[in-house]
Amino acid sequence: MNLKFGNDSADTGSFKLLELPPDLCKLVEQSLESNTTATWTIKGQTNDDAVLCTTNKTYAIRSIVLSNSVLVVTRPDDASTVGSGWEQEDVVIRDTLHEVLELVPSVPRLQVLNGLLRGREYDEGHEDEDMEDSQEGDAEEGRPTKRRKFTYDDARASLQASEMELDRGLRERRVLVLDGELRPIAPTHLTTVLELLLNYLVSLSLPHSAAPVTDLTLALEDDHEIKPKVTTQVMAWFGQVDDGLWSLNVNAVVKEIGLGILRAYKWWQDDPIPESVFVSKWKTAVGDTFEESVSLDLLLGNYLSQPSIDAFASSEPTLAYFPSSTLPTEPVARFADLFLTRTRWKADDIAPFLSEICVDNKERDKLLLKHARAITDAEGVWYTARMK
Amino acid sequence: MLIPVNLTSSSSSSGGSLPPQLAPFGSDELILIEMQGTLETDSKRAGMMVGTLDIDDRTKKSTLRIGHHLLEGKLVNLPKPLAVLYRPPRPPTITEDDMDEEERSVEEEDVERDWAGAKKEQRGWDVVAVVKKKMVFSKRPMPMVASIPVAPGGSVVKK
Repeated sequence: MNLKFGNDSADTGSFKLLELPPDLCKLVEQSLESNTTATWTIKGQTNDDAVLCTTNKTYAIRSIVLSNSVLVVTRPDDASTVGSGWEQEDVVIRDTLHEVLELVPSVPRLQVLNGLLRGREYDEGHEDEDMEDSQEGDAEEGRPTKRRKFTYDDARASLQASEMELDRGLRERRVLVLDGELRPIAPTHLTTVLELLLNYLVSLSLPHSAAPVTDLTLALEDDHEIKPKVTTQVMAWFGQVDDGLWSLNVNAVVKEIGLGILRAYKWWQDDPIPESVFVSKWKTAVGDTFEESVSLDLLLGNYLSQPSIDAFASSEPTLAYFPSSTLPTEPVARFADLFLTRTRWKADDIAPFLSEICVDNKERDKLLLKHARAITDAEGVWYTARMK
Repeated sequence: MLIPVNLTSSSSSSGGSLPPQLAPFGSDELILIEMQGTLETDSKRAGMMVGTLDIDDRTKKSTLRIGHHLLEGKLVNLPKPLAVLYRPPRPPTITEDDMDEEERSVEEEDVERDWAGAKKEQRGWDVVAVVKKKMVFSKRPMPMVASIPVAPGGSVVKK
């Protein structure tokens, strides 16, 4: 059969080769066979490295340059066969390629979200914002225009993450989507909403495994002017909403409320709270029904416990807010930070602050071996900084 | 910026099924041929003859004859399957000269821009085939001594 050049690729379209990891290959084949249409998206700003996003995963795209040429050969398309001298058997070169695109699984690139959302917190008293916005135009012409809203669509278009990963990231960062705009909820406001929800569960005597969503949103709106769209999103973060019924994740709610109280006693402000005082405050906040779920274990990795040094005062330990999420993710820097905070740590005390950066206990022990020095005395094993 | 990659079965990239002897080398409608160097041509190449491709039905060996040169090819399994992406040609647009100033500025505004000011949607690519094999002509071309009527148009040039 004859091999011929096809028409110029500018007229007939161009080709690219994309190397498929096994799971993606299966996806493509399924969708080609079953005749369903799916769409992946290549995302990135002009100065980013491009990524390919499926509905739930993100892949970095790398270009591999080939020294050989790869010819894409098909039957001639109709336009080119119109000419003379074509035979039944002829095939044409549609494009000549010197590059293959490789896909490498990648973590979603959501870190930029923290910066983009800074200063956009949604707090108590922001309920009337919509009205302010509409007045702004005619009343105060000369005022500098407000910062452009950052919407969910903007995030989807500009962030290098798949849709599912973006949704999870927003949920973990407690970001509300209000009329399309992204607004991280202020921690104090979140605590308020959760406390109110628990109170109403009790006062309306609703079962916490299946509470009607509308009852709760109406109560919060009528008595506290909290918008239903805020309440429902908070409910979805802390439980499951199915068929208009909210099943509450008790531990998650109790933990968040505990954090809300603890946040006032920051370690770096040297203002700790006695453990028993904290626990009783916490129990009051969650109410009788959920009292037994209160446990300091829920807050591991968020507080430092200091045994009382003052021999005359009660010998009760004090707690202070010290969230591991603010520590550096890089091991060396994290250990440096931890040993600046305390010169020596008990194994059980330091472990919660390492769980974020290692997948299991074995890896944690390896990290400890590498970055800390173990000293055994009468009280057990202590970890201190390694000598440089 | 978003570039859609569509997984559709309705591909419009090719003119139909390839001759049956080629099917084992790729997919029904598309094969990949790899060779050293590049095919170079002086003049307009659209529709020009490159060479004759033959496949031995028994040994499944392929040969490509380009002018006085003969290339021997073999079937190679790809380490990882390749998706072949195809982007249809840009639809013919009105050239700038035909547009007056006003029209052009209107068109500029029509382009949807994302948060960072980049064009929001780019033209997309379609996945038209998944290929797991390729035909590789890995050796240098052998000169042919016998005088066979030569097809004009192409020559193999080494890099």
